[in-house]
Amino acid sequence: MNRELNTGVFKFILNELKPKGKLITPFNIIALITIMTAAWILFIRFTSGLGSVVDADQSRPWGLWINFNVITGVAFAGGAYVVTFMVYILGLEKYRPIVRATVLYALLAYIFYAGALLLDLGRPWKVVNPIIGNSFGISSVLFLVAWHFILYMGSLFIEFLPAIAEWATLKRQRKFFASLTLAVVIFGIALSTLHQSGLGALFLMAKPKIHPLWYSEFIPVLFFISSIPAGLSLVVVLESIGQRVFKENMSFLHTSSHRKIMFSLARICTISLFVYFTMVFLVFLHGKNLSYLNTPWGYWYLVEVIGFVLIPCTIFLYGYRRLNLQMVRIAASLTIIGIILNRLNISTIAYQWYSKSLHFPTWMEVVVTCAVIFVQLLVFRWIVRRMPVYKESPSWIKEDMENKSFKIKNESINLNTRREKWKVSAE
Amino acid sequence: MGVDRRNFLKALGVVGSTLTMGKTFGATPEKTKSDIEFDGILFDSTLCAGCQNCEVVCAEHYGFPLPEDVPEAGVVRETSEKRRVAINSFNTSGGEFFMRKACNHCNEPACASACLTKAMLKTDEGPVIWREEKCMGCRSCMIACPFDIPKFEFNSPNPKINKCRMCFELLIEGEKPVCVVNCPAEALLFGKRRELIEIAKARIYADPENYNHAIYGEHEVGGTGVIYLASVPFEELGLRNDLGTVAYPEYNKTFLYSVPAVLVLWPVFLLGLSSAAKERKLKSQIEEES
Amino acid sequence: MESFSRVDIFDTKGIEYLFVIGYLLFLIIFWNVANKHERIIKQIKRVFSNLSAGILRIPQGLFYNRFHTWAHLEESGEARVGLDDFLQHITGEVRLSNLKIPGEMIKKGDLMTQIDKDGKHLKLFSPISGEILMTNQILNDSPEILNEDPYKKGWIYKIKPNNWKSETSSYFMAEEATKWSIKELERFKDFLTGGPMRKYSTEPSMVLLQDGGEIRDKILGDLPDEVWKDFQEEFLNFSK
Repeated sequence: MNRELNTGVFKFILNELKPKGKLITPFNIIALITIMTAAWILFIRFTSGLGSVVDADQSRPWGLWINFNVITGVAFAGGAYVVTFMVYILGLEKYRPIVRATVLYALLAYIFYAGALLLDLGRPWKVVNPIIGNSFGISSVLFLVAWHFILYMGSLFIEFLPAIAEWATLKRQRKFFASLTLAVVIFGIALSTLHQSGLGALFLMAKPKIHPLWYSEFIPVLFFISSIPAGLSLVVVLESIGQRVFKENMSFLHTSSHRKIMFSLARICTISLFVYFTMVFLVFLHGKNLSYLNTPWGYWYLVEVIGFVLIPCTIFLYGYRRLNLQMVRIAASLTIIGIILNRLNISTIAYQWYSKSLHFPTWMEVVVTCAVIFVQLLVFRWIVRRMPVYKESPSWIKEDMENKSFKIKNESINLNTRREKWKVSAE
Repeated sequence: MGVDRRNFLKALGVVGSTLTMGKTFGATPEKTKSDIEFDGILFDSTLCAGCQNCEVVCAEHYGFPLPEDVPEAGVVRETSEKRRVAINSFNTSGGEFFMRKACNHCNEPACASACLTKAMLKTDEGPVIWREEKCMGCRSCMIACPFDIPKFEFNSPNPKINKCRMCFELLIEGEKPVCVVNCPAEALLFGKRRELIEIAKARIYADPENYNHAIYGEHEVGGTGVIYLASVPFEELGLRNDLGTVAYPEYNKTFLYSVPAVLVLWPVFLLGLSSAAKERKLKSQIEEES
Repeated sequence: MESFSRVDIFDTKGIEYLFVIGYLLFLIIFWNVANKHERIIKQIKRVFSNLSAGILRIPQGLFYNRFHTWAHLEESGEARVGLDDFLQHITGEVRLSNLKIPGEMIKKGDLMTQIDKDGKHLKLFSPISGEILMTNQILNDSPEILNEDPYKKGWIYKIKPNNWKSETSSYFMAEEATKWSIKELERFKDFLTGGPMRKYSTEPSMVLLQDGGEIRDKILGDLPDEVWKDFQEEFLNFSK
């Protein structure tokens, strides 16, 4: 029996490892070139030191990898805690089709972006120090952020385990993992609150170096609140792209509920962007920084806050009320740019703003950043083509899923025929 | 030694009660005090002649290359990954003066607070030292330091952080930092911080025309181990006056203190929310099916 | 702000974090324990939907006894015994254990077999006395036969009875059996609302069952161990 089992597992893995799509596509080629270049760049970085590759110096010690991949990229993984909150805590079944994809994306984002943090460390092999208890720097915000990243990765992984169990046909294990979901989701939401704001708290001690329009003691709160529209906007963009790219892998439920979910997310983004704008305005009033507005930095600040927070907020509202999916997608893209701007402003652009020199990331940094994103997307694609993320779960879990999917099927079919009615009874 | 039974019990009671109440409500904690008082350095810029002897002996002691340039007004010389102390020249309203630039060994250092491996450590004796075996090279200390002192070896595969450590290995042997010992103009003085502040004040009172009526580092960033005297306003000598008097770790206080509170409150709140949501759903399901 | 010796405003953070971890573990245990009763109530509430008694299969030619087992005398003189449709509807798919082996003697009222589901079990007692001739091997490999066909393919034992007439004289048959089954359904509903609901719920049980609410298939299958124990003692052994 055991030998049969082993060969069965072996055959299964071999089968799954075979590529499931065309190997020579433009995307694959660009990704491959980027990744190989990045590998060579990283070789230089590890043999000649950070300075040979990264545009960082003694006055601006953090380069693009930590400023973009970690501080900005992690904000976009915030979709996971919002969506799991809505599905598992509030029980809003309408979002269930996107839960798995969002959790998978966030899991990969944390693994690769927090992993990119390792690239930006001067001595990555010492990273075990704050973990094994050799030296817990408990007063450090980065210590907290690092630990939360690890714990949250574990939580996301456990949340995703039922999908892996379904793929590997492990029935009892799947039931066990599914029973852990609520606890792990709750833990994950508490962790997310803390590390999303923690990324902002990293800069609290850099008060003399960040421009007053961007620095305040409320940076952590703003980071946390902005992670909500950031994460959801990315979900909108990813789902929109995924509908086309992963068409063969999507269940009917997924494709038919797409529009409804997008519009509901648009509504949430409108509200959260408006709340975020209010908080930014409050902080601005509190800081008494009116005199800074009439300077070049002030104009740049207004561009970010009005152009990329207030305007996408109104476009989301417009798109939601007119049921215009294209508008929603535009608003999501603008929000994403706005959050990137905000994070980059605080971490590098408005950092040491009084030094006269302009700083740009080196092409090598950009290539490695892109390579990290490519690898993440490739792994995402590999998993989506094999595991029930967009696909339907296998039929043997029908006892659990029957009740839950029943209602959504009905609602999504209604949407296509009666749009007026849907608007009123949404949610 | 100073720790008798009464004080011990008092400390225990205070620590115990604040542990249970004070911390979670974000109240200012009773600071646990150690008995050793900080050492410090007093730099009197009215006496400094700009001879750079401090730079030379420091470089010799730690094996760095000797300084090749001289202080020149208008040119800012910085510390670097090969230089722990730098002398700069300034043309001020009172004439040409020289100012020393090196780690100020703050009372509550931002760098030590930001370090997640405790590689940057504020010793009980006063100096803030960097410990190579623990450092990950994350450069948080550089972000945090209001004086931008720690310098990083960007071009090394095994990079170190470089900054003045007040010759700590000599201090614990009972000796003094090499720069202090070798200053020909006696612009540098080493001693207990408490005494140095009194000496500084005495100098000001004795010669009020000649001195700026303030000690830089007495209150700045919560107090520093290295304090400065000058005869012109400190800004003219390149010392920032906008750093505030709050110790920098205090900026993280609100956030870090709320972490345990969030971890305690959020799960309970979310559990309640999910129960309520399930309750509502069940009720509506039963109503629908009947 | 004057300080001349070392202070650390974050020195208790380590202990606080450890304490929080302990608190979270405690919270998990507490939540599970506090909600056990809630969960049982929820499960019972959730299962009320439509199943009418007309579906209950009651072959008229069999003898049924109060404990929901049946006996049938074949032309060859051998008797077959098994459990009835009512019981299998309520328990759902189960496995049998404690089966007798051919050659053993069994007396009426002895333990015939035990049905197990996920660690919960019910004891069934033999309707007749005699010698076990055969046990149904099919049930080992395909236990679902017991649910699909409890009377023909799903027989449990073939017995050579030694006291058929007197032992089966008090059992139900034909129309009587049908009437009795309907009454048993009502009695089961009363059992549910009177027994487990009363034990585990703080609400008055009147509120829960609307008029005409019928009992869902396999209801007992999902309910926990305590309810199975109650079912064995209060419902099955009712007249013992």
